[in-house]
Formats: sequence, structure tokens, C-alpha cells
Amino acid sequence: MKHETVSKEHLRYLRRVRATSVGVNVARIAILFLFLTLWELSAQNAWINPFITSSPSRIYKTIVALYKNGSLFHHVGTTLWETLAGFAIAVLLGYSIALILWWSDIARRITEPYFVVLNALPKIALGPLIIIWFGTGNEAIVFMTILIGLIVAILNMLNGFMATDKNKLLLLQSMGASKLQILTKLVIPSSLPNFISMLKINVGMAWIGSIMGEYIVSKAGIGYLIVYGGQVFKLDLVMSAVVILCVLAAAMYAIVALVERLVIKNK
Amino acid sequence: MKEVLRFDNVSMHYHSKQGETLALENVNFSVCEGEFVAIIGPSGCGKTTLLSLAAGLLSPTRGKVISDGYSFGYMLQKDELFPWRTIEKNIFLPLEIKRANTAENRARAVALAEKYGLKQFLKNYPSSLSGGMRQRAALIRTLAVDPDVLLLDEPFSALDYQTRLSVCDDVYKIIRSEKKTALLITHDISEAISLADKIFVLSHRPAKIVAEHTLNFPETEPLKRRENKEFSRWFELLWKELNK
Repeated sequence: MKHETVSKEHLRYLRRVRATSVGVNVARIAILFLFLTLWELSAQNAWINPFITSSPSRIYKTIVALYKNGSLFHHVGTTLWETLAGFAIAVLLGYSIALILWWSDIARRITEPYFVVLNALPKIALGPLIIIWFGTGNEAIVFMTILIGLIVAILNMLNGFMATDKNKLLLLQSMGASKLQILTKLVIPSSLPNFISMLKINVGMAWIGSIMGEYIVSKAGIGYLIVYGGQVFKLDLVMSAVVILCVLAAAMYAIVALVERLVIKNK
Repeated sequence: MKEVLRFDNVSMHYHSKQGETLALENVNFSVCEGEFVAIIGPSGCGKTTLLSLAAGLLSPTRGKVISDGYSFGYMLQKDELFPWRTIEKNIFLPLEIKRANTAENRARAVALAEKYGLKQFLKNYPSSLSGGMRQRAALIRTLAVDPDVLLLDEPFSALDYQTRLSVCDDVYKIIRSEKKTALLITHDISEAISLADKIFVLSHRPAKIVAEHTLNFPETEPLKRRENKEFSRWFELLWKELNK
């Protein structure tokens, strides 16, 4: 019920809700600010060794330096490209394979143990093989990214497809729907929330894949900066790369969340 | 009157690893054009199996289900409206499935929806409708392809009691004014008495038809029937037959 005139109690309620959400935001920013300040102060006053822990100001200087010598966007671009390519291929391929497995009961039953084992296998174990098969270029890293995202994508989507409401299936069957019609009218639209949650999971997986790939073999990229920085003991560089990574991963997640809001509005 | 559906000595077995279940055994009955037939039976006696057989979704192990040339519309316990489609798009669903999604058929479906009070909801999503309205939309969806026979699988059981009585009345009037034949399956005795012209009683598993009754109420509307003295007499009789 909507009232034109709002009661005093309701106003108080609304104020409380608003105050809480403002409070949460303030606390979030305050924690970050406090952490950075403490970190910086500790480094400045030599309470901790900034050579090992770096500091916000040193990270800032390192990123500016990377930007000035022109390598910042080269590294970011390399990793971003690998991540997005791996993500897109894993999602598309995973979705397609899940569709096939939904379509054919027998194929699903036959392949099930393989997917279970592949899912449990730590993909990094295949590192040496990937280098030998794909060389030391970007392809190896993209392949690693696909490998890490693919099985998760398949299993998540298949779960979504298989969870289609039995009664809605019965309804369509009673209308005489073909399997293709059931797929396009019911299974795909009803699994949209699963698709979105699969995208969210796979964003994370793709970053794991590309950074791990770069650890194994790379000439450029954020993972390369981290490994290189560690090897030459330039921890400012390692920290800077991690900060850049945080920003990129958050941005990509935000894009998926935005897609979610656009797509699932009538729930 | 012409027969639109006949079960001829129909038996149905289900197979699973645990063994074989006999769901129906020698079931015989027929539904004539324009009739409202109810089949009542205890829970889990194979009522839904019977409807699936009638709709042609299953084929009987033995015997025959004869329904030559007649088309069927199935209505389930819940409305099963697709939440990502508007009411209008939900009503067009069977047209799309049957590849009859022409402007003419769509107009007919919309006219039907408007006639039965769904006009203002056509562009809404199902989540914004009440349970009763949603079930009405589900009925209009079933009627969109103009089926000869409606198969109703406990279509009111998911509604609360108040809504159930009014939706029951509603559905009855719509079915009557559209001159459809209907086969209702339910475990609710009073629902069967208030709606049907003819009632068949099923036994426990394996389900057989143990009784057949023709009801002749002077009133036709379900709510009016419930007020009739005969109502409780029928109720007692059917109750005994169900619990035999």
C-alpha cells in the first residue's frame, strides 16, 4: 500500500535505512584510508622495512614510472587480452558443450567421470605440457586460461540446464513442443541466472588462468611483472602489479554485474 | 453425443530398477463432446498418468486410448507461467510451439484474454498478478490454440481456499461459455461435485474405475451447487467409495 502522506514512523524508518547505508559506505572508505595511512606511516618511520613491504607512495611512483616509460599499457594490454580471449572462449565453448550434454543423456552419462576428474585436476600441473605444445607466446597463456575456466563453465551451465522446472517441461511437451523448442523457449531463458553466475565465476577463473599462465611462461603482462619483480627483489613492482590487478579484476566484475542488472530486470 | 476420448481396457506399467509398478489396470471410460467429466481418486493412484495418457504424452502398456482428431489442452496444478514473459507473451506460447503464431490467432487469443478480464495485465509480468489471475491467464493460454478438450490436472490445488472457490467458478464459466469439453482430475471430492456432469471414481494402485455417477444438479454454477442439499449426499457417497 502506498500512502500519499508519509507517517512519522515511516520517515524515521527511511532515515534509519539511509543512515545505515551511508554508514556502511563511510566505513568501507575509512578502512581503506586507515590501512593506506598506517602502511605509509609505518614505511616512512621505518617501523617496517619498505624494501620488503613497499608503501603506497612507492607504489604510486612505480606505476607513474611504468606509465612514463610506456610499458604500463603494454603489460596491462597483454594480460587483459589474454584474460578476455581466454574468458570468451571458455564461456562460449563451455556453454556449447553443456548444451550438447543437455541434449544427449547418453553423452552426459558417458563423459561424466571425465569431467569430474578434469574438474578436480589442478590445471597448473599441465604447465610444462602447455609450453611444449603451444610455445612461449600468448597462445600458451590463453590456453591455460581456457583450461581453467572451461570445466567450471560446462558444469555450471549443465547444472542450470538440468534444473529446468519439470512441470514447465511437461507443459511444453503437452503442447507438442520439439526438443529444440523446449531448448529455446524454456531451457535457455530459464537458465539465464545460471549463465550470469557462471560469468561471475569465470571472470575470477580467467584472471587466475592468465596470471598463472604468465607465471609459467611470459615476456610481458602483469603476471610477468610480478614474477620479474620477485626475482630481482623489486617488491615495489610486485605490489604495483597486484594493485593494478585488483583494479582490473574489480572493473571486469563490475561490468558483469552491470550486464546482470540489464538482463535480469523482470524477476 | 459424440465421443471425444475413450479409454479401452487401458493398463499402464512403469519400469524402474526397483521393479515394475502397475499404475492403471483395465481402465475403461469415455468422455463425450461438451461434457465436464471428473475423475477422482486417492493421492498417488496414477491420476496424472491417466491425463498423460489422454494427452498422448505416454502410450499405454495394454489397451487403447482413442481420441481421433481431437486436440487437447493441458492445464497443470500450478500456472507455470514463464516469469520472463509478459502475460501476453505467455498466452502466445502455445501458438509459437504449434507454429500457428499468426496475427489472426494472436488477435483471437488477445480477444479471449480481454473478454475474461486480463486486458489490463497483458503487458505485465506474471509476478505482479495474484494467484487467481495467474491461473486464469494459464487457462487462457490453454485456450489460445482452441483445443477441443481441456485436461485439468488438479488446477486449483495450489491456490488458497478463498481463491480456489472463486477461480473454480471462473474457470467453470469460461469453459462452459467457450463450449469446451473438459476432463478434470482431482482428489478433492467437493471440487468434483461442484464442477462435473459425470464422475468416475478410481481405486488405489493399481487404479481401476470402481464407480461411475451422473450428476444432475439444477444449478450449474459451482458455488450454487455447494449450497444444494444434494451436495452433501454426493459427498458422503463418494467419500465412502474413495475409502473402500
